[in-house]
Amino acid sequence: MKNGLKLFLGVFGILALSWVGLLLAAHKQLGALPQFKDPVEETLNPVQLSGLAHQGALVYQDLGCATCHTQQVRFEGVGSDIARGWGERGGYPRDYIRDDVVLLGSSRIGPDLRNVGKRIPDAEYFYKLLYAPEAKIGGTALAHGMPPHKFLFTERVIADRQPSYKAVKLPAGFGPAEGIEVVPTPRAEALVAYLLSLKDTYDYPTERSLNTPAAHPKEGGH
Amino acid sequence: MNSPVSNSRAEQQEIDASAKWPVLVFLGAALAWLLLGGVMQLAANMQLHNPAFLSGCVWTTHGRLAPAAENILVYGWGFNAAFAFGLWLMARLSATTLRHGGWLFVGAKFWNLGVALGVAGILAGYSTSFDLLEMPRFVVFLLLVAYALIGVWGVTTFSIRNTENVYASQWYLFGAAFWFPWLYSVAQIMLFRAPVRGVLQPIVDAWYVNGLYSLWFLPIALAAIYYFLPKLLGKPIKSYYLAPLAFWWFAAASALAGGSRLVGAPVPVWVPTLGIVAHMLLVLPVIILAVNFLGTLKGGFGAVAGSLSLRFIGLSIAGFFTAVILGMVLAVRGVAASTAYTQWETLRDWLALYATFSVAMFGAAYFYLPRLTGKVWRSSVLTGVHFGATLLGVIAIVIGLAGAGCVQAHQLADASIPFAKITDSLVAWHTFNSVGFGLLLLGNVAFFLNFVWISCPINSRGTASAEIPAPSALTLATKEGHA
Repeated sequence: MKNGLKLFLGVFGILALSWVGLLLAAHKQLGALPQFKDPVEETLNPVQLSGLAHQGALVYQDLGCATCHTQQVRFEGVGSDIARGWGERGGYPRDYIRDDVVLLGSSRIGPDLRNVGKRIPDAEYFYKLLYAPEAKIGGTALAHGMPPHKFLFTERVIADRQPSYKAVKLPAGFGPAEGIEVVPTPRAEALVAYLLSLKDTYDYPTERSLNTPAAHPKEGGH
Repeated sequence: MNSPVSNSRAEQQEIDASAKWPVLVFLGAALAWLLLGGVMQLAANMQLHNPAFLSGCVWTTHGRLAPAAENILVYGWGFNAAFAFGLWLMARLSATTLRHGGWLFVGAKFWNLGVALGVAGILAGYSTSFDLLEMPRFVVFLLLVAYALIGVWGVTTFSIRNTENVYASQWYLFGAAFWFPWLYSVAQIMLFRAPVRGVLQPIVDAWYVNGLYSLWFLPIALAAIYYFLPKLLGKPIKSYYLAPLAFWWFAAASALAGGSRLVGAPVPVWVPTLGIVAHMLLVLPVIILAVNFLGTLKGGFGAVAGSLSLRFIGLSIAGFFTAVILGMVLAVRGVAASTAYTQWETLRDWLALYATFSVAMFGAAYFYLPRLTGKVWRSSVLTGVHFGATLLGVIAIVIGLAGAGCVQAHQLADASIPFAKITDSLVAWHTFNSVGFGLLLLGNVAFFLNFVWISCPINSRGTASAEIPAPSALTLATKEGHA
């Protein structure tokens, strides 16, 4: 190889081919995927995130939760995602069109979160988890290996004031000293609203029929 | 022609003199980032077995610290080291001096400013959370302009070459110089400027990350291997006529292989399938490269043991084949079903970045620094510590990440094992990895000290270049000039 121009054209062609073949082709297929209107209920799916949950998605992004948590459920037969209860079904591309920023994640240092709002529909649990993941409830810790996120809370002296109705009820021994309450910041509230919104419960008839193998394969044919 | 250009010694000295300051500036910046990134990587890894460590401050929470460390190692260390090595080798192989060095300093300043702002942005909470594209949007323009100022001189040096032939190392350097800016700007446009919707975003990110490793870091490592093997062993590359085929095939297959990172993900099934097929096509270039490298090494193991550069290059060759073969194995659908999302994938990427690329850059630096500065390595203890710690550290990390990956893959597949138990059984492996990262850091501190010692203009032994006669070309071909 001596010709610089040929080298350049080859180098260019290789990357152009992969761009067209992978990204452009995928965009052609999925780029205009719309919400699905349920024929009976007449609801649009996936449901848009609420304003607070949308803010929470930004908190999820800035804290780097995706470093250790995935948001993708594989189909029955691939891994143990369904058996672990991480989802009722495998994920479809359409599930993700509601997200501005799609963070599938690539590491499961922590468990999958795609349906965590369905699995644990309990805001109080998430506040405890974020403040003191090592806190024990009924003898078992809330989470193993998760770092505490105490910076998402303010610790306030109650003194003679009325305690905040938002204060997190921590098990004894895991909160601050007596007379101090732990109140979630707006960022924590947004993050928890986002976590609670994570549930792919609607099963799209169009996708389901494409992804389910035929129950009884034809025998013999003609 | 079958071996690197062997222009006259005087010419080489002139080329080296023209490259001296740009290379020293890039390598100095690279090593500073390497130490900072190493410390942060170690701290982030310690958080895995000690979750409360540094968790009080939002800036150092694991979700920010780990990506910040990764970005420092990739864009701070990796790119600066690649610039230093790539510009020098391009000048040498093109038999022309590196011109307009002033622009390179401007480029270096802006690149490092961009990386610093980007990393600060991640730590301050402006991360985009896309793997290896975490840096906030405001640094993208800075990085691209700085890259243009630097990359253009690599290409210019190539286009004004004074040689008849173009050697294999030049193909890889030339390709990488173009692939990175295209990959980066396309990914930035498709993710942030005019964002694509839904799961197209992870597809773009997978395409970019795969491209960054296999069309930027691996080609530069291959350029180093192709250059130093014949140079230091004093014999031509075995079956060199196959090298062009390996280059085109490796690049074309790698460019299409990104989808295999998405096996099982909610994307159209042809996306991972294309990636898997492309990965399997890598068999041919891997065989050719094995013939090229191992065939050349055959019978030369004595020389490898005697030369520091060659020892690093040998380790890099081992790292390259492990990385690529592991990538192929992890792409197989049945394997990916259990290894996806585990530390096996971390190991695959780490092998490409550290065990292949970084180690090759160390080997290159041990060759070019004495030539650029005209001095010898001042401490053979420090060079010994660097190689020993790197070798042990690489082995430790391979064992540690593979062990953690095995435990994770095995236990994640069994739904009866609660998730908390998996986390508990990984603690020992994470602790082991911290030892490995600590070893690597120790070696890099030793290298940094030696670098400062050799490159500092105010050397304790005065102008060493005047005292040490230039070694003859013959000895240069067989051993590098370290003490």
